[in-house]
Amino acid sequence: MDELFLSYIHGDSILYRLDPRTKLVTLMVISILVLQTFTFPCLGVFIIFFILLAHLSGVSTGILIRSIKPMLIFFTFIFLMHLFLTKGTPIFQIGLVHPTFEGLTTGTIITARFVLLILFASLLTATTRPTMITNGIERLLRPLPLKRFGLSSFDIATMMSLSIRFVPVLLNTARQIRYAQISRCLDIRHNMFRGVSTTITPMIRESLQTADELAIAMESRCYQGNFRTSLFELKMRSADWVVLCGISGLAVLSYI
Amino acid sequence: MIRINNLSYTYPDRTLALDGVDLSIEKGEFVALIGKNGCGKTTLVRHLNALLMPTSGSISVFGMDTTDTSNVWNIRQTVGMVFQNPQTQFVGTTLEEDVAFGPENLALPQNEIQERVDRSLREVDLLEYKTYSPKTLSGGQMQRAAIAGILAMEPQCIVLDEVTSMLDPQSRSNVLDTIAQLHQSGKTIIYVTQRIEEILPIADRIISMNNGRIEFVGTPKEYLASVESPIPAVTSLMRKLKAKGFDVNGNVFTVDDALLEITKATQVRDKNKTETSGNG
Repeated sequence: MDELFLSYIHGDSILYRLDPRTKLVTLMVISILVLQTFTFPCLGVFIIFFILLAHLSGVSTGILIRSIKPMLIFFTFIFLMHLFLTKGTPIFQIGLVHPTFEGLTTGTIITARFVLLILFASLLTATTRPTMITNGIERLLRPLPLKRFGLSSFDIATMMSLSIRFVPVLLNTARQIRYAQISRCLDIRHNMFRGVSTTITPMIRESLQTADELAIAMESRCYQGNFRTSLFELKMRSADWVVLCGISGLAVLSYI
Repeated sequence: MIRINNLSYTYPDRTLALDGVDLSIEKGEFVALIGKNGCGKTTLVRHLNALLMPTSGSISVFGMDTTDTSNVWNIRQTVGMVFQNPQTQFVGTTLEEDVAFGPENLALPQNEIQERVDRSLREVDLLEYKTYSPKTLSGGQMQRAAIAGILAMEPQCIVLDEVTSMLDPQSRSNVLDTIAQLHQSGKTIIYVTQRIEEILPIADRIISMNNGRIEFVGTPKEYLASVESPIPAVTSLMRKLKAKGFDVNGNVFTVDDALLEITKATQVRDKNKTETSGNG
């Protein structure tokens, strides 16, 4: 589990040096545009755009494409649903099962959209440290009236970075609990799900204990949940503005 | 500069954890707090940076009353606390981010945060690891990182709550060296531990607790003179030698001192033997 889904990859290129806010906004705009594509030529344009960006990023395309792997089952499911459930001209018919040409087209386009979304997101996470992403999100959320919900943008940023930090720790704890039970003769050879309930109980207890200790440690280091500064202050450079102008131009163009 | 007056604390489940504790700790002192599990050591030290509020009694930390809520953030900057589990106090995704957590909470400007992070990491000898993630660090390194995280807030006093209990011997000795250095640089150290042998050579004063009360306060030598157990293995050996008739001091606790005592005693014995045989 060390190689986590959508993780950061050390490197240096123009994409690495862009401000995280620029990358986040660009990703949002691209995602909206991708979700609005209905034709193969448009998809082709986005695929070329992705290849271009991947080349610019300096991250190996293989690593980026590997980020689709955990989602493969989901993608296959979506594709098959469309293939078999869309009404239209059947390709062939066996009993009640009749995939259609229309289903094939919509299935391909919709699955391709999701694949593109993940690929563009993987470009963001591969070229931006998790802290910078949370800092970027914090800065983008700051003008919102979150106080009304008893929250601050800093709270949200801290929650996100703690999740990033503690997901591997909790996975490790789960593995240890599992090993402890297997060593006490829990047989999981025939049924992977055996002992899930006995794993979950200590897991919840352990997580609450961790959360408690963490809260005390944070409090004693003066965490107050309100305004705080950062070791990595964000700064928009001219390249950021160029990218933002470019992406808004693209959005307007596609709208027309 | 810490004054504790008649401090009592009862947990919400009505367990009496502290029962009329009186204590003073001076600036620059190295104090070791010892005692069995559940005797109230952790509860006591958690009062020192206002993580817990007294049920009765009062605590003044460098002139600030901990029950006055307006002092809380100043107190937490003045008294830093390092905890037992290195894993659950590491909040950053890299070492430098973790050390920066405290100064970020103090809303310091970026260049000052950077300066403090580098300085603190250099002090615990981890500067070269600053971009490492916690999963690549050893327990001892993470515990030193936790100390750096506290140093970055520039406290006058550091409380260490059983910080070596989850570490291997080598890491433990590295962490202890770091703590001894901090003490030499003028920081007040309050060290909570179960391992008597690791603090006798470095502490100025030993405070022993039992059932929420303070049982003993004195120098390491006075502590050893007053108790049967717990004592270090070396001291125990010396006491057994003494019981066997060797003329040694039964209160030494370092291997070097013990060696000196034994050498001296054997020399005296050899000399006596030759004198006796000469007379004969």
